[in-house]
Amino acid sequence: MNRIRKWFRYDNVGLLFVLPAFLYMILFVGYPIVRNVILSFQDVNAGNLVRGTKNFILFENYLELFKDNVFRTSLGNTLRYTVLCLVFQFLIGFALALFFNQRFALAKPVRGILLVPWMIPITVTALMFKLLFATDIGVINYLLRSLHLIDKNIEWLTTPGTAMFALICANVWIGIPFNMILISTGLTTIPKELYESASIDGANKLQAFLNITLPLLKPTIESVLVLGFIYTFKVYDLVYVMTSGGPVNSTHMLSTYSYKLSFEMFKYSKGSAVANVLLVILLVVGMFYIKITTKGEED
Amino acid sequence: MKRKKLTALMTALAMTTGLLAGCGGSDGKTESAAADTAGTETAADAAKTEEDAAKDDAADTDTEEKDAAASSAAGTGEAVTIWYYWETEGHQVALDQVIQDYNGSQDQYEVTAKYVPFADFKKQLSIGASADELPDIAILDSPDHASYVEMGIFEDLTGKFDVGNYYEGTVNSCTVDGKLYGVPFGVNCLALYYNEDMLTEAGCEVPTTWDELMTTAKALTTDSVSGLALCSVQNEEGTFNFVPWLWSTGATSYDINNENGIRALTYIQDLVNEGVMSKECINWTQGDVMNQFIAGNVAMMENGPWQIPTMQSEAPDLNWKVTLIPKDTEYSSVLGGENYAVINGGNVEGALDFLTYATSEEQVKFMMDKFGYISADKNIAANQFEADSPYQPFVEELNYAMPRGPLAEWPSVSDAISLAFNQVITGTATPQDAAAEAQATIDGIVQ
Repeated sequence: MNRIRKWFRYDNVGLLFVLPAFLYMILFVGYPIVRNVILSFQDVNAGNLVRGTKNFILFENYLELFKDNVFRTSLGNTLRYTVLCLVFQFLIGFALALFFNQRFALAKPVRGILLVPWMIPITVTALMFKLLFATDIGVINYLLRSLHLIDKNIEWLTTPGTAMFALICANVWIGIPFNMILISTGLTTIPKELYESASIDGANKLQAFLNITLPLLKPTIESVLVLGFIYTFKVYDLVYVMTSGGPVNSTHMLSTYSYKLSFEMFKYSKGSAVANVLLVILLVVGMFYIKITTKGEED
Repeated sequence: MKRKKLTALMTALAMTTGLLAGCGGSDGKTESAAADTAGTETAADAAKTEEDAAKDDAADTDTEEKDAAASSAAGTGEAVTIWYYWETEGHQVALDQVIQDYNGSQDQYEVTAKYVPFADFKKQLSIGASADELPDIAILDSPDHASYVEMGIFEDLTGKFDVGNYYEGTVNSCTVDGKLYGVPFGVNCLALYYNEDMLTEAGCEVPTTWDELMTTAKALTTDSVSGLALCSVQNEEGTFNFVPWLWSTGATSYDINNENGIRALTYIQDLVNEGVMSKECINWTQGDVMNQFIAGNVAMMENGPWQIPTMQSEAPDLNWKVTLIPKDTEYSSVLGGENYAVINGGNVEGALDFLTYATSEEQVKFMMDKFGYISADKNIAANQFEADSPYQPFVEELNYAMPRGPLAEWPSVSDAISLAFNQVITGTATPQDAAAEAQATIDGIVQ
């Protein structure tokens, strides 16, 4: 009895608290990942999904992928898309956060309204942008024409380069509120006294920003960037609805290409290999995230 | 101090959801597979839940076992489940009517149907196959039939149905190695719709050859109207719309890199370059093309007979007609439509019983009329429409229609074909390069 009671002291009780989450992760995150890794080392297609032997071919799927032009395009696209989206989302979000951090009438309600893009289902946003960027009936071409910036309609979604641009625009629009709200929260945690004493010491706005705001916001900025990276990198619905990876495979992302291989072409193993490449990249980013957040807690 | 803890808490919260979403998302496939092991949805009130199912495609599961048990306990018969992908309400209502009549006609089986969106249909069947959770009957797109036969989930129906009177192409689409693995549901093919008022106004005759089509399309094109539109998305739907042009030159789906294949690609590219076909076609589904046509933005379109009921109700005043797709060297069209397939290991007897009922002449006629489909049975099709019916040209076009495949690797061949056409439409490759690239891909698949 005593030993049991002793066991239930501090540390071990902690383990019990973690147990449900741990079991959940094993079952719903761990198992699918392990299955997916196994699948990617096999040669599974329509012929042997249900019956027949699933041969282990180890890294052959991955080797084939790196020879596959569409895969290389998707990998490049996913990275380029993520980085460009992050840069613009973050900068614009940061600027808006600073702006709405000022005390002026309606600052709070307007900040709330700006959250709307984040709350609209992505499919709806995607359809909306698809119409905005339409060649003949799109508002964007109409505006550009009215301002005499272009003579001929731009074929946004049917030309490889500009289709990517349209996707990035749509995602930046979605991502700005996310960045803004997290940075706004970060800003409220900076004590006002610091700015007061800085201004007494004669620091100007820029100096205060560089020497107070930025250093104190560092943990928030790191979190925002890493979370943004994860959200952006695994994009699927936006691309699927707006371009389905086209024109001519030029906007395929790892996620959409994985789906196409698996469920449109019955190349299950190759599709899961693509998903695993995506997973590995996200794992690296995720570990980096855990490292910076735990470092923050120890401080 | 307190503030800092608050931030930490907030970011931690955000992080947890972020990471979960991150890992989960990358693995969406296997996760939904796990979710679906729970069971296929059916519910005795399929008609009522169809719309819900449409909104919430994959998630609704679990209820089959319970419902099946409940219904057999209530003495309403063994469950037979059907999956289909028709999103048109008229199609759903017609199928439901047949099912209700069947359920009312006997006590042994209770049939229910579930709507699975087309975009998810292949995924759901694949996942269902690996998780051993499939319906008893699938009504699927005919070019995919061979792939699932290869997967081994369909019951051999040889000798169980008389398909002697059916169009040869439809029977071929569900025949593998001389064995019959399905029953054609209905057939359709593509033909050319034209806006008669626009043609009359421009003083044009109905085109019958590619040259005439080009001239007519140019005459019809204005600032606000494109002469011609055809669905050119880069997937099976696009391939469906491209192959009639390819085949009309004498090229086959497997032999593209020659004079004929290149001529087909060049012609489509010319349509775009001459401005008579909008590049936006690569983002238009067949439904979008039809909407552009009834909105008067397009003067001619390649499309199927299933659009007719919608066109008649949405644009009753539009004056349109249907004709054969103009030819290069020979008339050509593509065979479309669905097949019934019976899943092995399920309630095979119940499935066969229902199919025997559903393929009887009376039921076929009822469904074909409601669907705007043509019966796969030649004898029924011959008398299905009046001579001046807009459907009649499609019956004639069927004589020139060929099936895609059947081939287990058809999806990969199809991808190569639709890619080649998309390359020439967007101008990212010359017809010669596109043909060579497609041929290289196809040669890697089909020896």
